[in-house]
Amino acid sequence: MPAMAESEHLPVQQAREGDSSAWDTLFRRYQLPLYVYVFELVRHEQTSLDLVQESLIAAAKHIGRLREDEKFGGWLFGIAHQKCILHWRKKGGKELLLEEIPDSPDESQDSPDDWLIRREQEAEFMNLLQQLPLPQRSVLLLHFVEDFSLEEIARITETQTGTVKSRLHYAKKSLRKLWEAKNENAA
Amino acid sequence: MKMPREILLGRHQAAVPKLDALRQEMVTELNSKGTKVESEKINLASWCLGALDKIWVELVWSSRHIWAGLAAVWVLLLVVNLSLRDYTEMPIAKAPTPAEMMTFQQQQELLAELIGQDEPSVAEPQKTYVPRPSSWRPFEIMNT
Repeated sequence: MPAMAESEHLPVQQAREGDSSAWDTLFRRYQLPLYVYVFELVRHEQTSLDLVQESLIAAAKHIGRLREDEKFGGWLFGIAHQKCILHWRKKGGKELLLEEIPDSPDESQDSPDDWLIRREQEAEFMNLLQQLPLPQRSVLLLHFVEDFSLEEIARITETQTGTVKSRLHYAKKSLRKLWEAKNENAA
Repeated sequence: MKMPREILLGRHQAAVPKLDALRQEMVTELNSKGTKVESEKINLASWCLGALDKIWVELVWSSRHIWAGLAAVWVLLLVVNLSLRDYTEMPIAKAPTPAEMMTFQQQQELLAELIGQDEPSVAEPQKTYVPRPSSWRPFEIMNT
C-alpha cells in the first residue's frame, strides 16, 4: 500500500518548533517520492536534485504558513510543483502544465492498486508514462506516488478539481490504451 | 506483480544516497541555525551586560573623585540650607498680657470716639425669611 500522508503521524509541529530531528524525519519520508515526481517531470537528474533541495529548503523556511499539519505532504509537493513551473519559465518554456482538457464523464475512481504490473513490464510502464502529456503525467504521478485525493492534487497543481478529474481520467485511459496496444503487439 | 508506486520508487533508488547527502546537509544547516539563534540570544544578553559594565567603568568609576566631590557639595549645600532656615517668621501663639489688653481697649475707645459710635443708632429691623411655595414666584415677578 502506498504511504499516505493523511494516515501518518508526522512530526510537523516539532519541525515547526525548530526540531532538526523532526525535519530529518520529514525529509527522509518525502525525499524519494518528491524526487520521483520532479524527475519524471523535468527528466534531468541534477536539476531534479536541485529542485528537491530548493523545495525542502522552502518548506523549512515557510513551515509557519502551513495551517493543517496532516496536509504537509500535499503542501510540500505543491512547493515542488511550483519550483518545476518556475524552472520551465526560466528556460523560456510554455506553461506545459496548464493544458486544458475537456471534462470527463463521471466515472468511479480506481485506486493505484488497480494497476498491478509484472516485473518484465516495468520498463514498458515507465516508457508509456513518459509518453503522456505533462499535465496528465503530473496528476497521474501524484495519484500513483502518494495516492493524493483529487482535491489535494487540485491544490498541489493549483487547478480546479474538475480539471484534475479530467486529466486523471484521460491519463489513465491513455495509459491503458498504450498498455493494451503494447501487449497486443507483444502477443 | 508491483504497483506503480513501487515501480516508480524502485526505479529511482540510485538517487537515494545523493538525497541522503542533501538531507544531512540541510539538517546540519537547520541545526546550526537553531544553535545560531540560541547563541544570538546569549550574545545579546552578554552585550547588554557588557554595555552596562562599560557605562559603569567609563562614566562612573573613572570619574569617581568628581562624583564624590559633587556628592559632598550637595550634602554641604543641604546642611547649609537647613542651618540657615529662618524660624522667626513662624507664628507663635501667645496669650495676651493684661497690659496689652488694656492698651487694646484704650485704642478701641479712642476709635469709637473718632467715628462717633457713642451715638445711639437706629437698627434696621431684621428681615425674617418665610419660605413660600415656588408657584408664587412667577406672580411676584409679574408684580414687580
